[in-house]
Amino acid sequence: MKNKLFEKYFVFSPYFWLILFFFIPLAIIFKISISVSEWGMPPYQDIFLFDNGFKINTTFENYVYIFSDYYYIGSFVNSLILALISTFFCLLIGFPLAFYIATSNIRLRNILLVLVVIPFWSSFLLRVYAWKIILQNNGILNIILLNLGITSEPLQLLYNQYAVIMGIVYTYLPLMILPLYGYLNKFDLNLIEASKDLGLNRIKTFFKVILPLSVPGIVAGSLLVFIPVVGEFIIPEMLGGSDRLYYGKILWEEFFVNRNWPGASALAFSGIIILVLPIVIFQILYSRWSQKNEI
Amino acid sequence: MDNNFLVIENISKSFGDNKVLENINLNISKSEFFGLLGSSGSGKTTLLRILGGFEKPDTGRVILDGTDITNLEPFDRPLNYMFQSYALFPHLNVFNNLAFGIKENFTRKEIEITVRNIAELLSIEHLLNRRIKQLSGGEQQRVALGRCLIKKPKLLLLDEPLAALDKKLRSKTQLELTTLQKKLKITFVFVTHDQEEAMSLSDRMAIMKNGLILECSSPEEIYENPKSLYTANFIGIANIIEIYKKDENFYSDDLGINFKLNKELKNTKTNILLRPEKIKIQSINNLKTSSFNSFSGEILEKSYLGSFTRYEIKIKNMIISVLDQNFNSSSNYNFPKGEKVICSWESESIKVLED
Repeated sequence: MKNKLFEKYFVFSPYFWLILFFFIPLAIIFKISISVSEWGMPPYQDIFLFDNGFKINTTFENYVYIFSDYYYIGSFVNSLILALISTFFCLLIGFPLAFYIATSNIRLRNILLVLVVIPFWSSFLLRVYAWKIILQNNGILNIILLNLGITSEPLQLLYNQYAVIMGIVYTYLPLMILPLYGYLNKFDLNLIEASKDLGLNRIKTFFKVILPLSVPGIVAGSLLVFIPVVGEFIIPEMLGGSDRLYYGKILWEEFFVNRNWPGASALAFSGIIILVLPIVIFQILYSRWSQKNEI
Repeated sequence: MDNNFLVIENISKSFGDNKVLENINLNISKSEFFGLLGSSGSGKTTLLRILGGFEKPDTGRVILDGTDITNLEPFDRPLNYMFQSYALFPHLNVFNNLAFGIKENFTRKEIEITVRNIAELLSIEHLLNRRIKQLSGGEQQRVALGRCLIKKPKLLLLDEPLAALDKKLRSKTQLELTTLQKKLKITFVFVTHDQEEAMSLSDRMAIMKNGLILECSSPEEIYENPKSLYTANFIGIANIIEIYKKDENFYSDDLGINFKLNKELKNTKTNILLRPEKIKIQSINNLKTSSFNSFSGEILEKSYLGSFTRYEIKIKNMIISVLDQNFNSSSNYNFPKGEKVICSWESESIKVLED
């Protein structure tokens, strides 16, 4: 009996975790997002009032406010585009790397895997800051370019969206490589040889055999990069300029500069719904598809 | 018949310091069913992979039907390779696995017809919509075979074609494979470590050891007249006896008996092979031992194999294996353990090994 109880708790532990750290915070954010804002501490009114009898004090004005201003929607769209581009480049660089690691001999493989993981051992902030030093006007890259005579004056490499994409691709690459590696590791290399033997050259073999069989790894890696990049705050803040505003930055400003908690919460809640809902639907459809295709 | 359909010329291959193939030369005829037999590490699979184009030889050439294919990529070679694991595409159903190699150059209709034909040939029409995981080992083997044959290759390479099948299915598939090969007249070259499989499938076979070809001949020739000690031991059961010249005849110290050979020997000392089924076993009451090509010994072990009984007979310092056919069901032919028997053989049955 005791064992059974333990088993039950053990099985449900992920749900406890989800409830405690996802659904309850989400509910709190939702509660704040439908509150009326005011000057004070906290900067919103309670949603249940008991002064003159019971009264529910909620508003959807915060949602109307953020959805009627392109400033907010635009920043969210910018973040989605940024996440798409970054995921694409992570995949472009990560796939060949993961494939190479997965197909190399065991000694080299372990060394390469350690190299992939090593950046995690240093501070994330420090790593992004290092890029700032490399890319700044009198930074290493500009010094090299100047000395080689490729440019006559320092290039403005920092504080634009390209620096942001580069920083994100650099930071999130391991998150793409590791799930891809985990999947490609099990790849039967005879399938590639069989495809070539049946007359398909390297490019066709890639598109007809390697790519379709790597879909689960690609999906896992891409989601792992895409989702956090949408809300990424630090990298655009440190490497980005004023040319583009991103969702994470707006969210931070709304909370801490404007002290508009209900507005910020509405923004956060909308962001989660817009992001999570399609992904959940995609996951359901995808798992059905992969079950049908037995990949 | 074209004896130079497939010419393997001076092929050598090393992986690092490890010499896998040393100066391999082979000529294989058109429509021949050719076996490469060797234990693991003999280099047989490497040779097959060189033919398939998956490995490049360090030296030498491969010529197929008059064309040098040594430097061609696998996808440019007019041959196909059947993998030991079958390497069927798990993301495609049987139809699309079969059609994989012809999708490029054929119209939809042609693909449909060609796939149906090949499926019919291999009796797998009912499986066309199945997923690979839903197939049994035997069915997978047919799909793998069909996927290769659909390309009408000049040469089909098979890596351990029957190794993944269970024993009963294996003998059935063996027969089907030879029938199919004779019908299609495609040259088959296959690799196996199983000597029975090699003997039953091959028109000719090559025995490989440590990257060398020791012998290359028909299965009968290799079984009956092996040249080397290694081959004699590798194929079938072998009694190897060392003999040396003594007066008129030859003498074995291990058996303590005289041998009479019907041919002269170059060396004064040599190894001979005596296959266990060539030895006649008789009750000691019937006969006296003659002065040569016979001995009396004691039955040490006995195993009843159905059509045969295998005896291990001890004489002096040696144990000799004898296979005795069970002519009738009476137990007269079965000697009990510990019984003294007389063994004898014809002079022609003694095969002299060269090394």
